Amino acid sequence: MSYSITINGKVHTTDVDGNMPLLWFLRDTLEMTGTKYGCGMGVCGSCTVHLDGRAVRSCLMTVKVADGKQVTTIEGLSADGSHPLQIAWLDNNVPQCGYCQAGQIMTAAELLTKTPNPSEKDIDEAMQGNICRCGTYKRIRKAVADAAKQMKGA
Amino acid sequence: MKTVDKTSAGISRRDFLKASGLSAGGLMISISLPASLLASTGDSAHELNAFVHIAENGDTTIYCGRCEIGQGISTALPAAVADELEADWSRVKVLQGDADKKYGPQDTGGSQSINKMFAPMRKAGAAGKEMLITVAASSWGLPVADCYASSHAVYNNVDDRSFQYGELVSKAGKLPVPENPTLKSRDQFRYIGKPIQRHDQAEMVVGKRVYGADAKVPGVKYAAIRHVPVLGGSVKSVNREKAMAMPGVLDVVVIPRFENAYGSIGGVAVVADNTWLAEQGLEALEIEFELGENVSYNTDEYKQQLVKNVEAPCKSEFEKGSVDKAFKEATVRHSATYVGGHLSHSPMEPMASLVWVQDDKCEIWASTQDPAGIQRTIGAYLDRNPEDIIVHVMMSGGGFGRKFKCDYVQEAAAISKAVGAPIQLTWSREEDTRTGYYHSCSAQHIEASVDAEGNVSGWLHRAAFPPIGSTFNPAVVQPTKADLSAISDHPYGIENMQVESGMAKAHTRIGWYRAVYAIFYGFAINGFTDELAHKAGVDSLQFLRKIYDNNKNPEQAEQVRRSRACLDKVAEMAGWGKRLPPNHGMGIAVHHSFASYVAMVVHVEVHGSDVTVHRVDCAVDCGLVLNPDIATAQMEGAVIMGVGLALNTEIRFENGAVVNSNFHNYPVLRISAAPKEINVSFIGQEEGPTGLGEPGVPTLAPALANAIFAASGKRYRSLPIKMA
Repeated sequence: MSYSITINGKVHTTDVDGNMPLLWFLRDTLEMTGTKYGCGMGVCGSCTVHLDGRAVRSCLMTVKVADGKQVTTIEGLSADGSHPLQIAWLDNNVPQCGYCQAGQIMTAAELLTKTPNPSEKDIDEAMQGNICRCGTYKRIRKAVADAAKQMKGA
Repeated sequence: MKTVDKTSAGISRRDFLKASGLSAGGLMISISLPASLLASTGDSAHELNAFVHIAENGDTTIYCGRCEIGQGISTALPAAVADELEADWSRVKVLQGDADKKYGPQDTGGSQSINKMFAPMRKAGAAGKEMLITVAASSWGLPVADCYASSHAVYNNVDDRSFQYGELVSKAGKLPVPENPTLKSRDQFRYIGKPIQRHDQAEMVVGKRVYGADAKVPGVKYAAIRHVPVLGGSVKSVNREKAMAMPGVLDVVVIPRFENAYGSIGGVAVVADNTWLAEQGLEALEIEFELGENVSYNTDEYKQQLVKNVEAPCKSEFEKGSVDKAFKEATVRHSATYVGGHLSHSPMEPMASLVWVQDDKCEIWASTQDPAGIQRTIGAYLDRNPEDIIVHVMMSGGGFGRKFKCDYVQEAAAISKAVGAPIQLTWSREEDTRTGYYHSCSAQHIEASVDAEGNVSGWLHRAAFPPIGSTFNPAVVQPTKADLSAISDHPYGIENMQVESGMAKAHTRIGWYRAVYAIFYGFAINGFTDELAHKAGVDSLQFLRKIYDNNKNPEQAEQVRRSRACLDKVAEMAGWGKRLPPNHGMGIAVHHSFASYVAMVVHVEVHGSDVTVHRVDCAVDCGLVLNPDIATAQMEGAVIMGVGLALNTEIRFENGAVVNSNFHNYPVLRISAAPKEINVSFIGQEEGPTGLGEPGVPTLAPALANAIFAASGKRYRSLPIKMA
C-alpha cells in the first residue's frame, strides 16, 4: 500500500505501515525533526502540525489518515521564519529550552487563523493543550497577542 | 590544539593561558582555570580551557563548555567573552563544545555555570583583545597604550589608521598569551548586563535547533525500552517471538541492571527501523520481571512513617545553646510537621541519545548536563579511556537535574554494542515518568518558641528524607550532617537550635531536582515561620525582618543583609499590607540557596477548593546579572515550576512501582493556571554573579501556602497542596 502526503508543499510517497503515526514518519523516515515527541498520547502538544490547515497531534495522526492531505510542519510555516508568530516569539524571547515551541507556534497559528482577534481567555484556552516545562507561558500569551495585532495591521 | 603544560598549571595556581595559531589561520585561545576550581570536578586532570577562535575574515567563534538546557548559558557566557574581546556580537557564532577538559568543568548543575565560569571566560576574551592590540601597535610602531580595540577593530589615538580583527589574527596567534589581562570596569560593558537576544532562539522558532533526540547518522537504528518497574528488580524472562516476527523489528536486547552510579536500572530494548516500530515491538514482548525487595514500597505509607520518625527524637546533628531551656521559658510555643512528595523532572524532551559503539571508536550525541560523566561511565562500561569516548553535547529539551545522570546513554551504548549499529534510543514519556531519579519525599517536624520580647528563642528541626547519597551508597539511610547544613546554617538569628536527622531508607533512585533539598527546606522553614508569626500575633513581614535582624553572627552578616534586602524589596513591589478583597490573600517567603537570595510574595484568590494565583512578585539578589532578560525568564520559569509542584504534581509508588505514567496523571502546570502577572526585580548587582537556575523555585510553594492561609484561614503543610 502506498501513501502520498504533501508536506510543506512537497509530495512524499511512501509504503510505510499506514498505522505509523505521522510524528514518527516525519522524524525517523523523513528525518524532519522540527516536530517533537513529548507524550505520545496527545496531551502535551509538542508534536502539533497542521493537517489541511487544522492543528492536529501528529503522534495520534496516522500516515493512512494523512494520505492525500496537506501537512504543514514548523519547517514549513513560513519560508524564512517570517510568520508573525515566529517574529513575535523572537521579539518576546519566548523559548527557553525551545523543545515544545514548535508545537506551541503551530497551535497558535491555527488559533489566529480561526480567531484573528483573540481575547486573553481565547489564548489560554487554545494553548491549554501545549505544555511548556520551562514555564514560558507568560511570554507565550504576550507573543500570541502581539502576533494577532501584527496580522490585523498587515 | 596545544595542550597546557601540566606542571606549570598545577604549580602556579594561577589562571594560565595558552594560544596557538591554527593551521587554517586564526587565533585560538584556551584558558586554564585555577587549581582551586579543579578540586570540584572530581577529575584529577588539570587543563581547563575556554575557546575563542577568530578567523582571518573576522568571523568569530566562541565555544561554550557548559551544557545548554534552556537556561541560556550558551548566550550569557559567550557574550561575556565577546564583551571583553571587544568583539561585535553580530559577528560571533556560538558553538557548543564537545566533552573535553579544555573547557573546564562541564557538569552543569548546582546553578554553578556563571559562578564558576564568568571570571575565566572574561579573561579569555580580555587576553585575546590584548594580543590583537599588541600586533596592531607593533605594526604601527606605536606604544600599546596609544591603541585600543572597539567593535572588532583596533584603533589608535594618534592617527586614523585601524585594523579589523581578522587582519591581525595570524600574527596575534603567535604571541604569548597575557596571563593577567586587564578586565573592563563595569561601566565599559557592552554586552554584560544587557538583554541581548539568545543566539539560538531564531533556530528554535523554525524547528532547526537540534536536540539529542534529533541526532541522526547514516545507518541509524531506533530503539525503545521498557524498564524493570521496581528498583533492584531484574528481567526474569522474555518471549521475543511475536516481536521478532514483526517486519522492521531487528532485535531484542536485554539490559541488565548496571550497578555503577548512573547505570541503567535494567530492562528490555527493541531495535527497529523507526521508534514507533520499536515501541510496537515492546508491546508484543512477553516480559516477566523479578521485582525484588523494594516491591514493598508504597509512598502513602512511607510518608506516614517519615512523619512518625520526625515526631519522635532523632539523631542530633547540630546543637547550639539549649532548645529545651528556650522552650521552658517560652511565651509562645508551636510545633508542626511538613510533608512533601516525590517529584519527577519530566523535561519535555525525554531521555534520548544516539550512541555508536565501534571496535575502535565510540561516538555519542546526547542531551546531557554532564558530558564528562558520560565519558567516565561509558569508558568504564566499554573498558576504554574516558577521553576516547567522543561526546557531542546536544541541545537538551530541558533537564532540571535529570540529565545529569546518563543511565539512558549507557543503555544506548549497550544496545549499540549488542547489535553493532548506531542506536538512537528515545525513552517513552511513560519510561521517563516511571524510571527517574526522583526528588526525595520528605517529612520535617519543627518545634519553636517565642520569648517575651517577641524573639524566636528556640528552633528544633527534624528532617527525614531519602538522601541523594543513597543512590551512590545504599548504606546511607538518613540525611547526613551535610544534607542538613542548609537548616543549621540558615541565616535566622535564633540562639538555641537543634537539628536532627530521621531515618529514611531509599526504595527508589533519588536525584537532584531543580533546587534539590531547598524545595522542602524552603517550604517548611518559611511556612512554619508564618505560623509562628500568626501565633505571636505579628505581621509575617515584620516577624521575618526581626528573625533576620536578630542574627548577630558576623559570619552570616552578608546572608542576613542580602536576605533582608530581598524581603524589603519584594514587600515594596507587592504592596505588602495593602487592603485586599475578600477571599484574596498574600503570602511571603525568602530563601537563600545556591549562593543567591530570593524573596517572593504570592497573591491568591481562594474559593472553596479553587485557588487562583493572580500575581507573583520576586526580588532576587544573584549579584551581577549577565543578561537581565534571560535571568528574568529563569525566574518566570521557576515560578511556573513552583506553582506546579505546590499544587499539582507528586510521583507516587505502589508495590514498588511508580503509579504515574504521563502528563495526564502527572499534571505539570498548563497555561491557564499560570499566574497572570509575574514581576521580577534584581537587586544587589554590585556583588559578583551567582547562580539563578535553581534559587527561584524554593520560595514559591511556601509563599503560596502562606497566601492561601491569609485568604482562607486554612494552613496546608503538605506538598502538593490538596485543597479541602
